[in-house]
Amino acid sequence: MQFPFVKSGLNLADMKKIASSFADVLSNGDIILLNGDLGSGKTTFIKFICEWFDISFAASPSFAIVNEYQSECKIYHFDFYRVKKVEELYDIGFAEYLNENEAIFFIEWAKLFPEILPKKVYNVEIKMTNDYLRTIRIDKNEK
Amino acid sequence: MKVLGLETSCDETSVSILENGEIKSNLISSQDFHSDFGGVVPELSSRAHLQILLPLIKRALKQGNISLNEIDLVCATAGPGLIGALLVGLTFAKGLSFSLQKPFVPVNHIEGHIYSGFLMNEKPEFPFLCLVVSGGHTLLLIVKSDDEIIQLGKTLDDAVGEAFDKISKLLGLGYPGGPAIQDVANKNISSKLIEFPIAQCKREFDFSFSGLKTAVLRFIHTEYQNIQNISKEDIALIAASFQKTAVLALTRIVEKAIKKFPVNSISLVGGVAANELLRYELIEVSKKYKKKLVIPNLEYCGDNAAMIAYRGLRLHQNGNKFSLDYKAFPGLKANSFTFID
Repeated sequence: MQFPFVKSGLNLADMKKIASSFADVLSNGDIILLNGDLGSGKTTFIKFICEWFDISFAASPSFAIVNEYQSECKIYHFDFYRVKKVEELYDIGFAEYLNENEAIFFIEWAKLFPEILPKKVYNVEIKMTNDYLRTIRIDKNEK
Repeated sequence: MKVLGLETSCDETSVSILENGEIKSNLISSQDFHSDFGGVVPELSSRAHLQILLPLIKRALKQGNISLNEIDLVCATAGPGLIGALLVGLTFAKGLSFSLQKPFVPVNHIEGHIYSGFLMNEKPEFPFLCLVVSGGHTLLLIVKSDDEIIQLGKTLDDAVGEAFDKISKLLGLGYPGGPAIQDVANKNISSKLIEFPIAQCKREFDFSFSGLKTAVLRFIHTEYQNIQNISKEDIALIAASFQKTAVLALTRIVEKAIKKFPVNSISLVGGVAANELLRYELIEVSKKYKKKLVIPNLEYCGDNAAMIAYRGLRLHQNGNKFSLDYKAFPGLKANSFTFID
């Protein structure tokens, strides 16, 4: 997969294929930020990536703030959606989570608290074009 | 036997004391914690649990008229939940257990909810079908005995309470979404509800609420473009239609399970069990199939420590022993419960 990766007119099956090829380039320590409106498919995209890593039970962490999944690799699945203040993220130990080297991190609604995020990340932006079709853009920020 | 239960898995700090299985006190931070305990408390915070826990324990002991030395068993939620939050209650319980030289029991939060029906006078009868519905969880289980809980299905994406919260926010109705949607839906005067889709999952007892959320979102977008263009009547209609669909998505699977598995009763637990329509529809289902239905009182539907103390007591009475190096488990385990295929 080459970055930036941009594709439009995607149905669910297309999103799954893209998730697989994206998952293939991921390794421990990678941080993936996901942005897009409610219902655009952020959780679904992460679920597809998790399936590639043999994790079949990934679900929305909107309420829990973070879900942890473990298979051959460890995945932390964050969601900033219901976080009100950045202090709350410090308080749940967000920085400590990110210090863990042997894991991959997904963060939904990352744009709500950009100040807490590192620079070296993948940025995934999903847009709805209609009920069934999506546009995706994945950028890799090196610095 | 006097049992102390602590619950700190998510937002709520809760402390409960049971004596011979009866509730002596059940304090919940959002209702029972006041600013006179000192300091401003962030809504989502491990430090908040730390600040609240000790004063809440003191108050619970006082309310139950029990001294700390009389406690025979110390129980705390070990998971799932936020690791920082879980550690506050779990570590406190371990320390207390060590200093009092009384046994310690770590409790699975979901199992706590499953056992909340037993806090009522009318208790569930084994084997019973249990629907766990909250902001973070949506599960359907068969509880055969204290140590045999079988998971029939769960949500593949959003929990049902989360769907209520998100739709409520979308309609500008506020948080928490459950009561907000319910209030507005009750004002609906249109007899013809909007038909939103109910997800069909590959496994027959699984749930999915992500598609419903998107369907409501697209409906608003297509019909009104913008939230400001929706009249009060239409907001009520959308809320009522959404609520009806979400409730039906739950009850139709409960009904399917009743037909397939021999159960003696049904129990509805978790924060969303407060929803009146869901209660009504499940009462109808229980009448139709002549099953006893147990729904805990409102204060035991949301996160509370009484259910943790009760489940801990049962585990202890059944001879389970736990060492003080028992670790918190934040994650959703793939194998928390036995699966059925």
